[in-house]
Amino acid sequence: MDKTNENFSFKKYAWNQFKKNKIALISLYLLLFLVIIALFAPYIANDRPLYCEYEGNTMYPAFADETRKDSIFDENGEFIQILQYDITDWRQLNLSKVIWAPIPYSPNSMDRYNRDYAAPGGKQRYKSPGGEILDIPNRFRHKLGTDGIGRDLASGLIHGTKISLMVGLVSMGIAALIGIILGALAGFFGDNKLKMTRIKYYFTIIGVVLGIFYGFGFRKYEISNGFNDGFASGMWEILISFVLFLIIIILLRLISRIFGISSFNKEIFVPIDTFVSRGIELLNSIPRLILIITISAVVEPSIWIVMVIIGVTGWTRIARFTRAEFLRIRSLEYVQAAQSLGFSSIRTIFKHALPNALAPVFVSIAFGIASAILIESGLSFLGIGVPDDIVTWGNLLNLGRQNLEAWWLILYPGLAIFFTITIYNMIAEASRDALDPKLKS
Amino acid sequence: MLKYVIKRILTFIPMIIAISLIAFIISINAPGDPVERLTKSAGSEGTADEQSGASKKEKQEIRKKLGLDLPIFYINISNLSVSDTLYKIQDRSHKDNIKKLGHKCGNWNVVSEYYKSILTFERKSKKLIAEEILIQMYPEIDSNQNRKKLLNDINETINQIGFEVGSLCETSEANLIDLKLNKIQSFIDSKSYLTHLKTDFEKTKKLRGDLISEATKWKTYIPTILWYGTKNQYHLWLFGNGKDRKGVIRGDFGISYIDSQPISSKIWDKIGISFGLSIISILLAYLVSIPIGIYSAYKKDSKTDRITSLVLFILYSMPSFFVGTVLLLQFANPDNLSWFPVSGIQDPTIFDPEWGFFKKLSHRIPYLILPIITYTYGSFAFLSRIMRIGMIDIVSQDYIRTARAKGLGEKKVILKHALRNSLLPIITVFAAIFPMAIGGSIIIEMIFSIPGMGLEIFTSILNKDYPMIVTVFTLSGFLTMLGYLIADILYAVVDPRISYK
Repeated sequence: MDKTNENFSFKKYAWNQFKKNKIALISLYLLLFLVIIALFAPYIANDRPLYCEYEGNTMYPAFADETRKDSIFDENGEFIQILQYDITDWRQLNLSKVIWAPIPYSPNSMDRYNRDYAAPGGKQRYKSPGGEILDIPNRFRHKLGTDGIGRDLASGLIHGTKISLMVGLVSMGIAALIGIILGALAGFFGDNKLKMTRIKYYFTIIGVVLGIFYGFGFRKYEISNGFNDGFASGMWEILISFVLFLIIIILLRLISRIFGISSFNKEIFVPIDTFVSRGIELLNSIPRLILIITISAVVEPSIWIVMVIIGVTGWTRIARFTRAEFLRIRSLEYVQAAQSLGFSSIRTIFKHALPNALAPVFVSIAFGIASAILIESGLSFLGIGVPDDIVTWGNLLNLGRQNLEAWWLILYPGLAIFFTITIYNMIAEASRDALDPKLKS
Repeated sequence: MLKYVIKRILTFIPMIIAISLIAFIISINAPGDPVERLTKSAGSEGTADEQSGASKKEKQEIRKKLGLDLPIFYINISNLSVSDTLYKIQDRSHKDNIKKLGHKCGNWNVVSEYYKSILTFERKSKKLIAEEILIQMYPEIDSNQNRKKLLNDINETINQIGFEVGSLCETSEANLIDLKLNKIQSFIDSKSYLTHLKTDFEKTKKLRGDLISEATKWKTYIPTILWYGTKNQYHLWLFGNGKDRKGVIRGDFGISYIDSQPISSKIWDKIGISFGLSIISILLAYLVSIPIGIYSAYKKDSKTDRITSLVLFILYSMPSFFVGTVLLLQFANPDNLSWFPVSGIQDPTIFDPEWGFFKKLSHRIPYLILPIITYTYGSFAFLSRIMRIGMIDIVSQDYIRTARAKGLGEKKVILKHALRNSLLPIITVFAAIFPMAIGGSIIIEMIFSIPGMGLEIFTSILNKDYPMIVTVFTLSGFLTMLGYLIADILYAVVDPRISYK
């Protein structure tokens, strides 16, 4: 092969290396498959039909809004009944044509006739539209069994996929944001590169204090009211507070320019590396599970809060890797060139240096997603932090633990967790080998 | 070397302070009123009246004992509108509400007057006794039925007023306050026996108006720093007061909300089992993983190595709660194989605490096998991988090549020269044992119902026993840091290549 240096790209090389690892490639395809399941979960497992015809009306209930209400008229225009989509038992209607979802149950819908742990292969009952209780037809069989209150396991697993993937994505998204920014600043500036005039330094500190006071202390009732309304509006209030916080700091830094006294204008170093390193050390010295459990015991149970906590406690690894990369990169010629051209530090960091530091960060994010999913399922297994009405793999497994006869509640959710974690770990390991041949072991 | 150790210990101290601060912040932000929890758990019997009368004094005592009548921290950054005496308000929900009112109005004097007037009104309205009113107002009533009806009526009114006034202390929404005030107004206007409350009520209403008219919102924009000195909750929590509270640094972690027992004695009772369990399983894991790691590093890239690596990798991804539950399902289940008991660590019908150590141990072995397997396999996979990587790194070093070059046998090279050095990274992992004894086994102990620390943490979370949770948090943070400290120092002692200048 005749490869010149011009055509050679690191990305291509890494991807070729990655492709050589067959198991990793399969894992990548499996992950894609999981993502598809998660995206289409409401159409794969739903107790509302995908399509049906009822008294001459064509409906697509699975695609409609859950709370939708329809008044049903027959062909002569006479009123029959009001269908409220989420509480109607569609199986009991006389549907002339119908296409059910592949798994005709929603994760939270309780099948009254198959309560008390109906086994996958065992006897299951069914109430026909005529009202008689029969042996279940194959179409409506709970293929993976049910739990104690008649919820379908297969449906729970399908919808649990969404939550698991989301936990990994959201929490590691937060962790990556914090970790990359802090790690980049610490690595790039170190302890003796970020210079500031003394007056600016002190004003920044005052700005941080005032920013916390006005941004968060002063707005604490707005924030807590926001969280009472819902997670999204709470986060919105926090975002507003954060912007306020930043504005106050910038304002004070601007004000500091007024002071022209020479003794104030002596330049001093900001030991940003020490701050970040101590922070990492502190967070590392608290066992993560204990920290997460403690915080989620104090706050209201919510899957979003669990994600945020996992993210906020999980950035240290990413920050460490980013910092190490930046320590290496900052002395390379192209970064020095960028600086001597007079580009601002921010531009040099995020535009020139960061893209070249992302490889090890990517690996630790992938490992981080695996451990985030592990932690979330562990928490919901313990029943801490995750509300009961959300069906996750972890709390399905816990239902199985409480009733060992229901082996299907142990095996299938457990395998689901195990496979997802393995997939992520495989991808992470293979990409580490591909991105950094030195680390290969 | 000594300099390094001293420096290392010096960085240890601010970290401990930081951990204690985080723990304290979590503990004061825990929802609910600790005094309510403690008095409820004491569960004094008697009628509702007796209880509230007796427990008021009791509550005050507990509050004082817990230091809740003190300010929270040495300093407090707040705004001009907040008085430095706010912490003296005892009821937690009242305090939160007064803070909110203060934030809205900004004039502390008016807010506190308003609050006081509500309290006065509440006290007076509580003195109303239906029977006395009945005798005073309707002395001529003789028929029993009428009497009962009137009595009910009056009682109803008194209860209603009590409820409205009580909730008035916990509302800061303007329209809700007005709603409640109007309700009370209508009662006072319509019932003649309430006229003597009128002056107090008028005062409250006037102050309610002042809340709006004399609001000084600008005061809330100005930050102030209040200094309280050492008489604060954090100081008390950390150092004690020299009398009944000894403070965290002397091992006094407060009392549990569940049974009012001291936390430290509860932990002391439970920690032995968890510690024993983690020591046994970590030792087992080391025993298995070191040979495996050496072997697969030695035979690097052979078929055996690749298979063991894959198996270890899969084991590593297996969640412990899944493995534990499957083991339980398979081996401690009458439907499958009933080889091991399902839960606990002893059979209460046979077990005798008088037994000697070995008798106890042999009795407990069948109970401990499954938990130990669950405990061990994860760390075993992890350790083997570390061991293998470390070993591969060492084998490519110069001194190993030298050892080979001078004609040493392969066995001797590996076991004598390489092994000693490859054990170094494993020291760090050993540091993890300390915190594991306290918290790492929550899931395993919960699955197998082993009455150790893990299960204790689990139940205390379910029961929202915050002092326990916070204590575990503090201790495990402290122990992990101690573990790191010891590991670092050991490292420095063992490995002469590392210089800490």
